[in-house]
Amino acid sequence: MSLRFQRLILILLTLIILGAAILLIMFNTKQNIVFFYTPSELLENNIDSNIKLRIGGYVKKLSFVEKSLNKYEFKITDNSNDLLIFYEGMLPDLFREEQGIVIEGFIDRNKNIVASKVYAKHDENYMPASIKKELEKNNQWKKDYK
Amino acid sequence: MISLIGFSALCLSTIFSCIVLIPKSILQIEIKYFLFFIRSSTFLVCISFLSLIFAYVTSDFSNFNVFQNSHSEKPLIYKITGAWGNHEGSILLWVCMISIYGFIYSLLSKSLDSFKILVLKIQSGLFIIFCFFIIFTSNPFLVNSVMVEEGLGLNPILQDPALAIHPPMLYLGYVGFSLVFSLAIASLLETTNDRMWLLETQKWSIISWGFLTAGIALGSYWAYYELGWGGWWFWDPVENISLMPWIAGLALVHSLLMIKGEQAIQRWIVFLSILCFSLSILGTFLVRSGILTSVHSFAADASRGLFILLIFFVTTGFGFLVFLIKSPTKKNDLHLLLINKTSALIINNILMMIAVLTILIGTIYPIIIEVLTNTRISVGGPYFNSTVLPILLPGFLLMSIAPVLSWQTNKIKKFRVYVICFLILSLVITIQSYLTIFNPWGFVGLLLGSWIIVGSLISVILRYKFSLTSKYLKSINSFTAHIGVGVMIIGVTYSSVYQKEFNFNMKIGDEVNIENQLLKFDEIKIVDQENYQSLRVVFSLTNNNEIISYIDPGKNYYPVSKMITTEAGIYHAWLKDIYITLGSETDNQWFIKVYINPLVSFIWIGVFIMIFASIVAVIKK
Repeated sequence: MSLRFQRLILILLTLIILGAAILLIMFNTKQNIVFFYTPSELLENNIDSNIKLRIGGYVKKLSFVEKSLNKYEFKITDNSNDLLIFYEGMLPDLFREEQGIVIEGFIDRNKNIVASKVYAKHDENYMPASIKKELEKNNQWKKDYK
Repeated sequence: MISLIGFSALCLSTIFSCIVLIPKSILQIEIKYFLFFIRSSTFLVCISFLSLIFAYVTSDFSNFNVFQNSHSEKPLIYKITGAWGNHEGSILLWVCMISIYGFIYSLLSKSLDSFKILVLKIQSGLFIIFCFFIIFTSNPFLVNSVMVEEGLGLNPILQDPALAIHPPMLYLGYVGFSLVFSLAIASLLETTNDRMWLLETQKWSIISWGFLTAGIALGSYWAYYELGWGGWWFWDPVENISLMPWIAGLALVHSLLMIKGEQAIQRWIVFLSILCFSLSILGTFLVRSGILTSVHSFAADASRGLFILLIFFVTTGFGFLVFLIKSPTKKNDLHLLLINKTSALIINNILMMIAVLTILIGTIYPIIIEVLTNTRISVGGPYFNSTVLPILLPGFLLMSIAPVLSWQTNKIKKFRVYVICFLILSLVITIQSYLTIFNPWGFVGLLLGSWIIVGSLISVILRYKFSLTSKYLKSINSFTAHIGVGVMIIGVTYSSVYQKEFNFNMKIGDEVNIENQLLKFDEIKIVDQENYQSLRVVFSLTNNNEIISYIDPGKNYYPVSKMITTEAGIYHAWLKDIYITLGSETDNQWFIKVYINPLVSFIWIGVFIMIFASIVAVIKK
């Protein structure tokens, strides 16, 4: 094989790989994405019940009920709208009422969510409310803690 | 008091670094004094960091940062590590490391004085930028406005040995690329024919890459046993952004190999060097600004994010601007053949760059979509698995033989041996997968992994005479590293493809049968530890009436922050991990999740081999 021919093959090979990569990216950004909503957005839009989605918000105070071992019901809220969540499985340790969480699952006909996964954020910060108030008074509370 | 010392030391250190940057035309500093300023700046920033640690150890709650993240009843080790378990402290650590890298460089470098000064100046420039970041947006030495007796405590989930050393390791990797960056810029500004900077870049990029590998592995190991999700990698944005500089660094390390064949493309090396550090800063920005919705969330603050974005644009912009204006002109013809070492290395680099790009797109795609269409999406594991992995496949295939390729010709010595071995191996693996459960990914992964190992072993045996010397280790080093990758590929494939999951409801005395082994719920133990209460469910694992091991998953309750953490119980064996997490309890019935993770140990062994190889590569003969 001449030197030139070998180089040509190399360049072609590179182009093929590059093309394949672009195709893969385009295909996958269509297929493998999950939409993310807050409860209000979800209620505004009509969402197909076949699509997996993620919902972010807080666990509503006094909404958590344990139906039986590992079967739970609770509400997720963004302070204006709530959604009822059904979940069967293990809850993360950081899960508690008023904690920021993200759930993954499907919506059903009554606009309730059947969750397949529940994530709680593990933040580095934790702050009791009483001290938080004090700090806010002194203007030392700048950060967006949840 | 100690906070004051720390803060003044930090400011003084910044001023010292500023003095160093004064141009020659205004103030001529002799190299002796130049080095004095650089080194005392390092010394001062270390004092600053040590005083923060001191404040943590003595539980000085007049410091706001200590108050927020520490508690007097915490074990000593977590008091110390608490210093970098939060944003402010960790950025101080970052700055400290930038300075230390400069310090060590000033001691070890054998370059000409003028070049050395230039590198150190750029390094100090970076140092100053990050110091401003600390002083203006994330000062760890703020005074607490509330008088308190007790601190708030470190998030219990971070009170863990692996996570204690994970940030320093990761930062040593990220920050190491700052020195590589400085070297690259200096080489552009001062054109010398001296090839010293290439050798130095090689050394420092391998060191940084090694630390980054260790840091990522530690984080992933922590996620494996602490989060209780049964896996060790979740393609979360925070994980992805550490992977990008890692791959770019790997591309850099490989392209630097071309020095040996007199084929180094300076332009490309400089480009990669700048890219590595840019990606490191970009990662910090994305994590700290809270722009990405991540499961591993850090405290996010928009003003901080903006500042880091500014730093990112300044450094990256400066870097690439210099690169465009003063691009190296030296051209050497590449000796490209189908397929010799040069072309293999170039293909390697192309693949890695595409992989970085794919990960980058997947990670920031949600941001772009949100800006454009106002809908929020998240890109998860499936995207990355089905793009990054296929892209890397040809690279893995090439990897087994690449080190034996020659620079000049496209002939491989004893080519026939390789072909025969490959055929035999494929046959064996086909039969193996036919007899067990067939899975296409499992098959491909196993074939690739074992071929990399076998191919590398053949090369080592055929080409080098065995001897127990460091010279021998150095000459087979690239094979060693590749064997590590092969081992890891097998581990990754098996643990993800053949993972099994079982759910049980059990009470004391119950037994279940898992893959011919008997798992018995023995007892529940509640023990008071130093700063938490632990609940452990003890399981005994028996095989043919012989007790193999006890597994004790459980929960820890931390009264200080009123938090519960799940502790996975893991039985490590060479061939499989039995991984148990404990759920909730009703009427003495406990919900138990059991994962069988085959060959997870291979992942960690592979990582160890890779780190070992990078150590060998750095050590002098």
